[in-house]
Amino acid sequence: MSTILDLAQQAVEIAKSQGVSEVEAYSSQVAELEVEVSDGQVENLQKAEETGLSLRILKNGRLGFAYTNDLSRQGLERAVQEAIEITQVVPEDRFYSFPDPIDYEPLDLLDREYSRVPVEEKIELAKEIEAAARAYDSRVRKVRMAQYSERFYEVAIANSHGLAIFYQVTGFSGSTMAVAEADGVSETGWGFDFAHRLKELDPKRIGEEAARRSVEMLGAKRVASQKADIVLDPVVGAEFLGVIAPALTGEAVQKGKSLFYDKVGQEVASKVVNIVDDGRQVQGAAAAPVDDEGVPTGRTQLVAEGKLQGFLHSIYTAGKAGVEPTGNGLRSSYRGRPESSPSNIYLVPGDKGGEQIISEVQKGLYVTSVMGMHTANPISGDFSLGASGLWIENGEIAYPVRGVAIAGNIVSFLKSVVEVGSDLRFTGSYGAPTVRVSGISISG
Amino acid sequence: MEWTQESLRRVLAKALENGGDFADVYLENRHSLRMVRENQQLDKVSIGTDRGAGVRVVMSGSTAYAYTNDLTEEGLLEIAGVVAKAVEKGEQKKLKPFRQAESNVQVAPAIDPRQVKLAGKAQLLEKADEAARAVDKRVTQVSVVYRETLQDVLIANSRGYWAQDNRCRVALAIMVIAKDGEIMQTAYESIGGAAGFELLAEESVLEAARKAAEVAVRMLSAKPAPSGKMPVVLAAEAGGTMVHEACGHGLEADLVQKGVSVYAGKLGEQVAAKGVTVIDDATLPNHYGSYRYDDEGIPAQRTVLIEDGILKGYMYDLLTAEKDGVESTGNGRRESYHHRPIPRMSNTFIAPGTDKAEDIIADTPYGLYVTKMGGGQVNTATGDFVFEVSQGFLIRDGAVAEPVRGATLTGNGPEALKLIDRIGNDQGFTIGTCGKNGQGAPVCDAQPTIRIKELVVGGIADEEDAQ
Repeated sequence: MSTILDLAQQAVEIAKSQGVSEVEAYSSQVAELEVEVSDGQVENLQKAEETGLSLRILKNGRLGFAYTNDLSRQGLERAVQEAIEITQVVPEDRFYSFPDPIDYEPLDLLDREYSRVPVEEKIELAKEIEAAARAYDSRVRKVRMAQYSERFYEVAIANSHGLAIFYQVTGFSGSTMAVAEADGVSETGWGFDFAHRLKELDPKRIGEEAARRSVEMLGAKRVASQKADIVLDPVVGAEFLGVIAPALTGEAVQKGKSLFYDKVGQEVASKVVNIVDDGRQVQGAAAAPVDDEGVPTGRTQLVAEGKLQGFLHSIYTAGKAGVEPTGNGLRSSYRGRPESSPSNIYLVPGDKGGEQIISEVQKGLYVTSVMGMHTANPISGDFSLGASGLWIENGEIAYPVRGVAIAGNIVSFLKSVVEVGSDLRFTGSYGAPTVRVSGISISG
Repeated sequence: MEWTQESLRRVLAKALENGGDFADVYLENRHSLRMVRENQQLDKVSIGTDRGAGVRVVMSGSTAYAYTNDLTEEGLLEIAGVVAKAVEKGEQKKLKPFRQAESNVQVAPAIDPRQVKLAGKAQLLEKADEAARAVDKRVTQVSVVYRETLQDVLIANSRGYWAQDNRCRVALAIMVIAKDGEIMQTAYESIGGAAGFELLAEESVLEAARKAAEVAVRMLSAKPAPSGKMPVVLAAEAGGTMVHEACGHGLEADLVQKGVSVYAGKLGEQVAAKGVTVIDDATLPNHYGSYRYDDEGIPAQRTVLIEDGILKGYMYDLLTAEKDGVESTGNGRRESYHHRPIPRMSNTFIAPGTDKAEDIIADTPYGLYVTKMGGGQVNTATGDFVFEVSQGFLIRDGAVAEPVRGATLTGNGPEALKLIDRIGNDQGFTIGTCGKNGQGAPVCDAQPTIRIKELVVGGIADEEDAQ
């Protein structure tokens, strides 16, 4: 059933034969298809297959790590040697260990039908995304990167304690960017969707979202500098969560890189804020039955009614902190080692719909897109972003706004959240509903 | 890599068996080493091997690409068959005989980084760490990251190009956190190039470490930056994020052709102030964005993009060049065999002018002086950009005054370039990894000291604190 589990077990055996007693092998096999259409024609089609493996070796409490996609016996032996070489220069660290086998609930993330759907139908899906964007409004002049992509991956983990894990996941996504034009000015808008099953992907919704976002920005003005309430679109809320999330990991805390490091039990956000990480939340792109060390995933409440509850842990950071691992030892791919990282992290939805939240704002900015989020400083919490969106006056959308900067500090920002909507949406593995934040400085 | 011309010819023939205008094959073998020092110890070390190949076929503007890490001829023939199937039946092209393209770029690392033992590298990281900590007691955390990549590539295409390149890049980055009570500031310095271990001479590494520490400590006393429109002087040492974001991306031919660049259709027009010349040059010796051949096998080149304010050209790969009826400028790059090539920047810079940097500051009554830029982002369709200021000062009465923190600059590419009113005779380079379409590429950006008459500074000071 699984050749990569055999491969991982073979690597473990090779390491053992080299005198290594503590070893773990992680292997993944990925098959991808990506289709991009433009003007109803296939512009790009990409197909990929790759298998790779990485090794962690513990020798005298020192951890060595090497990866390779040369899966010949010789290639695996070389990786073992490289990992051993590393154990000769790194310091001893008693918190590294590999888990014993443990029972876990499987998670059904596999679409068993998709491989029977011919490529032509998938190309058609990308074309439908493009067509839906064009059909939405005549001012949509260009549609760029109308894309369909699918990913089938298998993961195997084996270690010298007898752990042997194998699971399969499928993921499907579609996205596009619409460019609307009026009076010689262009505005852009993104649309996207993700599902673990092909038939759950809705091309029309993706195209129309991109078109709506581009058209609603036409005629955008600048506004004067002021303090006002802002309402974050769920996509923007998820981007903010992306800045906060790293600070909620054991690694960031233990390295002094988290602004939350000494705040457990304290108020870090307003009462309406609840943040959860859940590797078993199937709406998120990071769903998996176990983490990348073999620890079962689960729900971890990080912030409850504004109070910080704890952090996300791998086996290593949990050992160091003296707590149980939370199933968050995750790798970026087989090329990476497991690090305490968020899986599917989201802001728990409240009761009000997004539209109701907007209708209650007297004067403010509904932020639909931000630029420069990756420049936010995760350590100090300072951020300053380019933003665009829609101006709200007396609870109604008045006109589009572009070229403003919103700035602040993430700590005071979290404390200024006054509403969390019911419309939770995942952007990849980050989820947020509509959020209202009060008293933010906007520079025009 | 041991590949005969005959076997790659079979692969290309297979890719074109159903027709197609063009096919190429890209083979890669990469060794990577990454070492991270943190919390005053060697924290993470990883060594990796990546080998793989990609085959591409192009037919009437549409591209099919497939890759694999099965590097047998059968493995390559299989992906060639996959891309061939994606092509609608058409005329079969004849393969041209292979010839090796000539590159005049000399890249010869003096010290192969693999020859330096792990323990020796670990020691250099430790010395950098200590040098940064020695600067001030308020330095609380130092991270040092070392990376080396040795990448052998072989590119062959149906037009007869055959290029082999052995690329060697090293980079060392130092991040410092300084703390004073509740205030925490970070600073970052890096050294890197398409060069061997000789680039990381101990003195230059220690100097960079000290500089990062000094900046972090200095920024502890920074006040929140003011908000609003004001003149901005970008120091040469601030690096080239501005030119990279404000015009570089918009001059990549794929974005221009898709009509999502503000610079589309403006060749020969004034797109920047007089005196502004922008160049992309992959041939600069040892620079981080340099290479001998691009990832389509085209020799590296120097391309004038903007000359004295007039738009002169775009950055092309093979496909976009053909569409415009011009030659590739050697800017077809890819992160790895996982990706097909797209037009990318290499080393991009604003050419120096004639003003002295100190005169530019002296002639500025009030404004923001930026000595270090952070990351940035651009919407190429509108030209709107944003980038962060990692280290900035206010200019008051023609002199550099107090440091300010938390500023970002937002503006519009062509508007900002037209507002450049002073250009210094100096030039400073920064290295980075540029992301586009999910692909990272090592790049280098540079500029002289320049003044932009007016940019929107997004600061965090309350209204009443400004000015």
